[in-house]
Amino acid sequence: MSAAESATAIQRNQVDLLDFIDWSGVECLNQSSSHSLSNALKQGYREDEGLNLESDADEQLLIYIPFTQVIKLHSVVLIGSEEEGPKTVKLFANREHMGFSNVSDFPPSDTAVLSSDNLKGKPVVLKYVKFQNVRSLTIFIEDNQSGSEITKVQKIALYGSTVETTDMKGLKKIEDH
Amino acid sequence: MVLEATMICIDNSEWMRNGDYAPSRFQAQADAVNLICGAKTQSNPENTVGVLTMAGKGVRVLVTPTSDLGKILACMHGLEIGGEMNLAAGIQVAQLALKHRQNKKQQQRIIVFAGSPVMHDKKALEMIGKKLKKNSVALDIVNFGEDDEGKTEKLEALLAAVNNNDTSHIVHVPAGPTALSDVLISTPIFTGDGEGGSGFAASAAAAAAGGVSGFEFGVDPNLDPELALALRVSMEEERARQEAAAKQAAEEASKEEKGGEEQDATMTERASEGASEADNKKIEIADDDDTSLQQALAMSMDEPTSSQDLQDTEMSDAAAEDPELALALQLSVQDSTKDSSSQADVSKLLADQSFVSSILASLPGVDPNDPSVKEVLASMQNQSEPQQKQDEDKAPKKEEEK
Repeated sequence: MSAAESATAIQRNQVDLLDFIDWSGVECLNQSSSHSLSNALKQGYREDEGLNLESDADEQLLIYIPFTQVIKLHSVVLIGSEEEGPKTVKLFANREHMGFSNVSDFPPSDTAVLSSDNLKGKPVVLKYVKFQNVRSLTIFIEDNQSGSEITKVQKIALYGSTVETTDMKGLKKIEDH
Repeated sequence: MVLEATMICIDNSEWMRNGDYAPSRFQAQADAVNLICGAKTQSNPENTVGVLTMAGKGVRVLVTPTSDLGKILACMHGLEIGGEMNLAAGIQVAQLALKHRQNKKQQQRIIVFAGSPVMHDKKALEMIGKKLKKNSVALDIVNFGEDDEGKTEKLEALLAAVNNNDTSHIVHVPAGPTALSDVLISTPIFTGDGEGGSGFAASAAAAAAGGVSGFEFGVDPNLDPELALALRVSMEEERARQEAAAKQAAEEASKEEKGGEEQDATMTERASEGASEADNKKIEIADDDDTSLQQALAMSMDEPTSSQDLQDTEMSDAAAEDPELALALQLSVQDSTKDSSSQADVSKLLADQSFVSSILASLPGVDPNDPSVKEVLASMQNQSEPQQKQDEDKAPKKEEEK
């Protein structure tokens, strides 16, 4: 897909799925406590170049993002530096509570190897058919560009559209009169 | 109140037969395990605890993480001692058991009782530690029993690899009269991270620790309430007496200030000296633990009563010498004179014609040369003259006192 095509695809009807993230369930394994996932995901923090998500014990990161409603995921933007930005990224749809030990137990819904263009902001278009009915997304960052001990991610943005789902929290009881 | 799933790894190897921890190492360990289970389940009812043994035929999970305390205590019965401890396998199995916990929201924690020598090398332990840290599992190590060369070092290295923001701890328990459980109660393993002790831990401490100072007066109110009460009452009486003495000293000091300036200087100096001496002594004693002891010592060392007597006699001498001073002292005692002296001030100012005229000049629309204004001023002056003579004595005194 050319750059122009993917850009228009985003413009067409894909929205930034930031508003549909269920923040109470967001988890990240192997993150450094001072450089946490919020630096890469949250509005404002992710735009700040000084604030990164950093890995801790080694270079892998496992990010779990549940959504408040069912979404279709179209593309992903991962911004990082040339050396320490992520390289191989595996995405799993609807797998709850994965650990590093079972990332290889089932095949990922999609795999992406990030180029330097991607790291600057070019969105990675995913296999749309695999992400039609996504309740939660797990992002497994396997390694980084230069093979260093620490992986740094500056921004993670998800683009897609929503499926009309009932938000259970919005349901209100009908009062009997 | 952290929601936590804990796996306790027990060492039931041959080394646990040793009796250097009363009654035997294994029994001390079992008591500690019971206490920990109780503390965890009490601090949060949704906490779960599981137990596994590391030695014997192999690593064996006795009970998977559960909040049922009875089940945990029951599984501790009939455990056999034998074999060698396999620390690495034990920790890995514990990690696996935690991974399959029912409530995924619980934080993961492993508590290891390392009583026998550690066979693995430092590198292997560090790898394990890193893996635990990556999966955000906290680790508490209880180092007791055998202390061969390198064991402590290895365990410290393991802790360093796991530790993330001080959630993991290591405790070294040497053999001695105090039981293993008692030593553990005061450690962060029991009290949790930054919580300062659950209610269970505090009550256990009160019941178990007899001679542990940390109670007021060094006596446990639970053990001997009458003695504790008697000590507290005598402490308060002492405090009240000290306050009364201090108040008296302050009164004397204020009376002395009304006297002549020389006496003023010496007396206030003495009073401040006495105060600073008391302060210094208090600072020296402040290093001691017992505040009651400190105050008692301060009281006995200071002799404010005797110094007050000295000051009293000096003051009476001074009063005899100077009749004006005596008058001043009398006046200072009476409240009413204070008011009249302030009134005298004001009237004196008004009587001062030059002062008044200067005020009038600054007022807009008033011409001091106006005859009507001059008349008023003259009448005011006549009124205030007799009053002025009376106040002459008082006024300079008042200025001196200031």
